[in-house]
Amino acid sequence: MEQDRPDPDALLAATTRDGRGRLKVFLGAAPGVGKTWEMLNQAKRRQSEGVDVLAGVIETHGRAETAGQAVGIPELPRRRMPYRGQDLEEFDLDEALARRPGLLLVDELAHTNAPGSRHAKRWEDVEEMLAAGLDIWATLNVQHLESLNEDIARIAGVRVTETLPDRVLELADEIELVDLTPAALRERLKAGRIYRADVAERALEGFFKEGNLGALREIALRRVAEHVDDHVRDWMRANRVVGPWPTRDRVLALVGPDAAGEAVIRYAKRLADALRAPWIVLHVERATEASDRRPSLALATQLGAEVETRAGFDLVQVALDVAHARNVTHLVIGRAPAPFWRRWFGRTLGYQLLRRTPEFALHVTPSPALARRRAAPAPSGGTNWMPWAAATALVACVTGAGLLLGGMIPQEALGMVFLAAVVAAATLQGLRLALYTAAIGFLAWDFFFIPPIHTITIANAHDAIGLAVFLIVASITGLLAGRLRAEAQAGQARIDGLRRIGAFSRKLGEPTTEAALLSEIARQAAAIVDGPAAVLSASDQEQQQELHVQAAAPEGGGEAIDEGGWAAARRSWTHGEPTGRGTATLPDGAWRFVPLRTARGRLAVLGVRLADASNGPRLQALDTLADQAAVALERVRLTGQAARAEAAEETQRLRTALLNSLSHDLRTPLTGIRGAAGTLRAAWDTLPDATRADLLAGIEHDVARMTRFLANIMELTRLESGEIRPRILPVSVGEVIELAIGRVPDAAFAPVNLAQPVIQALADPALLEQALVNLIENAVKYGSLGSAPSIRAAVVGGHVEISVADEGVGIAAEDLPHVFDSFYRARRGDQVVPGTGLGLAIARGLAEAMGGGIAAQSPRADLPVDGSPGTIVTLRLPVAP
Amino acid sequence: MRGGATILVIDDEPQIHRFLRPALEAAGYRVEQGMDAANGLRLAAARAPDAILLDLGLPDLDGQEALRRLRAFSAAPVIVLSARDREAEKITALDAGADDYVEKPFAVGELLARIRAALRHVRARDGVAEIWRGEGVTVDLAHRRVTVDHVPVQLSPREYDLLSLLVRNVDRVLTHRQLLTAVWGPAHVDDVQYLRVYVGQLRQKLGPAGVRLIATEPGVGYRLLGSELRG
Repeated sequence: MEQDRPDPDALLAATTRDGRGRLKVFLGAAPGVGKTWEMLNQAKRRQSEGVDVLAGVIETHGRAETAGQAVGIPELPRRRMPYRGQDLEEFDLDEALARRPGLLLVDELAHTNAPGSRHAKRWEDVEEMLAAGLDIWATLNVQHLESLNEDIARIAGVRVTETLPDRVLELADEIELVDLTPAALRERLKAGRIYRADVAERALEGFFKEGNLGALREIALRRVAEHVDDHVRDWMRANRVVGPWPTRDRVLALVGPDAAGEAVIRYAKRLADALRAPWIVLHVERATEASDRRPSLALATQLGAEVETRAGFDLVQVALDVAHARNVTHLVIGRAPAPFWRRWFGRTLGYQLLRRTPEFALHVTPSPALARRRAAPAPSGGTNWMPWAAATALVACVTGAGLLLGGMIPQEALGMVFLAAVVAAATLQGLRLALYTAAIGFLAWDFFFIPPIHTITIANAHDAIGLAVFLIVASITGLLAGRLRAEAQAGQARIDGLRRIGAFSRKLGEPTTEAALLSEIARQAAAIVDGPAAVLSASDQEQQQELHVQAAAPEGGGEAIDEGGWAAARRSWTHGEPTGRGTATLPDGAWRFVPLRTARGRLAVLGVRLADASNGPRLQALDTLADQAAVALERVRLTGQAARAEAAEETQRLRTALLNSLSHDLRTPLTGIRGAAGTLRAAWDTLPDATRADLLAGIEHDVARMTRFLANIMELTRLESGEIRPRILPVSVGEVIELAIGRVPDAAFAPVNLAQPVIQALADPALLEQALVNLIENAVKYGSLGSAPSIRAAVVGGHVEISVADEGVGIAAEDLPHVFDSFYRARRGDQVVPGTGLGLAIARGLAEAMGGGIAAQSPRADLPVDGSPGTIVTLRLPVAP
Repeated sequence: MRGGATILVIDDEPQIHRFLRPALEAAGYRVEQGMDAANGLRLAAARAPDAILLDLGLPDLDGQEALRRLRAFSAAPVIVLSARDREAEKITALDAGADDYVEKPFAVGELLARIRAALRHVRARDGVAEIWRGEGVTVDLAHRRVTVDHVPVQLSPREYDLLSLLVRNVDRVLTHRQLLTAVWGPAHVDDVQYLRVYVGQLRQKLGPAGVRLIATEPGVGYRLLGSELRG
């Protein structure tokens, strides 16, 4: 049942395409096969069918046939771009978007745009136009495909520099192969229909060799076939064709720091594409390898690989662990140059993997035919002769010392001294120097100390053994010491990296508000690049359209972002990829933008003005900062959301409490009023005068009650909004208590207990009186019948304490913390004690407004345990000086 | 006959007693006042009131519990004084044996009508009337016959069960639960939509009188209105 349904992913992919324009690619194996001509030819047919065809950019390369074909198709004027004193002509993206033709023709997808264009490459223009809904036809030569770069270089001996990612071809809804046999193409070339005669001459011997053309043609044919296959699959998936689906393959590419890594990555990409399998690029950072020699993992990311970096010494073991953990079926490695001893002892990577991985398919990529290019020349590479000189000097010193001391050291023990030199060299400078030191130490020892002296021949057998042992021990010691040093260095590098992460997360962990955090991020970024930095995000989180500078360092640094910078920032925001200086998009601007994103989505864009786009450690630090910043930003935002949700919940709770309270506290007097009025109207004549008077008095009483309730709500609102400004002055507490008691009629009171005849507190007399009235009313309401609330006042530790005590039902322990909250009323079962639930809240608000405090105690400590628990509420105020 | 009936009012709000006593006395009842549940239960046992007005929000005892204890020894009709926002409480009380309810703030006239209906229902229950008449509708419980304006009406067994239950409890609110349990059985206590359908059919078959006779108590249940409450 389940499987009969169309695959939702496939359907989704089909529908998400709907808003996009459709792309048709005319793919050729080599220049001159007639792609442009064919595209124009078909476009004319569409034009005659009434389609609004516009030639966005057509490169005729001076070929008359193509130029003839283009006649009659309206052409988009090129945009002129001044560059270094001359005008460059470039495809006008904005004009094309504005014209919205029915079909746009774009020649040479792989073209690199003139500096200052919005996108670095023309295919990016096309991508944007597709997203905008334009239908596009474009031409492309197969050699420009990124993943084929290596193969092409091997086949044709030319490295193509204008490449474009393979996914561009995957964007195409339709690919048409413009095919011409190699022989026919060469004929064309000879006839001068492609290049001028002199150029054609050279081309025939170079790129256009028959063998080259044949290979390229085969590659092009294969790509088109693969694309068709993809479409069939998509169609089958979308239309629930039950297939025998291949089990899930997974490709793992192992890359090292050498140039072979790029070839491995490209090969793995093609393999993964062919298998329709996910692929992982694994880089094992070995302890013996300086951490700045990173392979071109950026290429892997760009090609869509999942990149993983592990640290470890045993490359094979780490690779196998990852392969097993991720259910890898295909392993791709490069044919890396291996030292002779590895080859001799069968310790090459390929051999070890073969031996230890019977369950994987192992692919070994061809080694690059061209001269090996280093990914980046090691900065300290080889030219530094100082250590070598030092090691030589060291051996010379040891030799000199041995000669001077002569017989004092037995010559066998001299070996130990030389060994020490070897260890020193290894520790200082690594393995190679250690081996060198061991070698010259060996020679020096033999030459100067082992009979016959001053020859390198050895007379005694035991000396020969001693020397051999020395050589072996020195080599091994040097090896170990060198490895130790390398590991220590790698460890140090990782510690540096971790320290940086730690420092960032510490600094970014401090701010609690989003604004403070954004400023901190900008400050950190500015410190890294030693230039202005800014954090940008859309102010409206829902719409996510307009980008604004949210924070900048130094202050106002965001204003330095120019128009091109803004374009790069917007692209970084919408595409979630680094843009600007030194990246694939808008690389010529002064600013570089890094998206701040987490698994949950984009948060902001971090922009910095980079003076130098090739400073590796600086960019690495920036990336680390971006990662940490994204996490910190998300944390702050989530915290903010949680706080808002909590506040909303609290508001909701209060609202419910308010409604309950309103419902009870308004309904009771309303019932009284309605009932009394109804009784009076129905039985006015029969009721005795006294009863009539009592009912009228009852109405008045209830009205007063409701009025008081409303006044309480108003009072609380004013208190909470800070509208009440107390007039603080010395107040005689005893007098205020008497006034308050006078305002609570029909209640009995125990005599007021004053610890001193005159107690003066700092308070607002009117507010204090109101607070006391609330406390007393509360005590009367909750106190048991017949017991009178008792009021006492005393000076305790610099405070005046006024306590109102009752002998009532008390307050349950779980209610005690909440009794001063608005509308909180202690509930016992379903019973509700009449009252507003506001009295204590108002009392607290008043006390706090006067700089005092309030607290409740229940059960009372001074009452017998077996009686009513009772409650004491104590008001604290500053004592008057 | 009206004179002499004793009404016990159990409420903790003095303001309620303040107007209820004269109102009830003016209508010819004797009034007993209980300020809390303990006091009220004592009076209910000692004075054997003819009807009881019970506030559910009492300070010393849960109103439902007070009702349960009251029902343990007293069959007097109980009218609950309740609040609109305590719907569930009201229904629980009716299920637990309360006869009727009024919502605060209530009109005195309405309360008096409810009291009269409750008292009359007690008398009707004592001498079971075999034939009930109202608005031209006659229900002959002995012969399971229903006529409207002397024309026999055909009712399905369920419809008749529903109508006869309402007739036996005329003027009383019957909760959804009570009706469903009695007519459809305990398994259907939550199928309120059955009731809506059958009550609708019943009202239709009884004609205009049906709409006047069978009152909907929103969210609570139904009640057949006797002459007093149709007033």
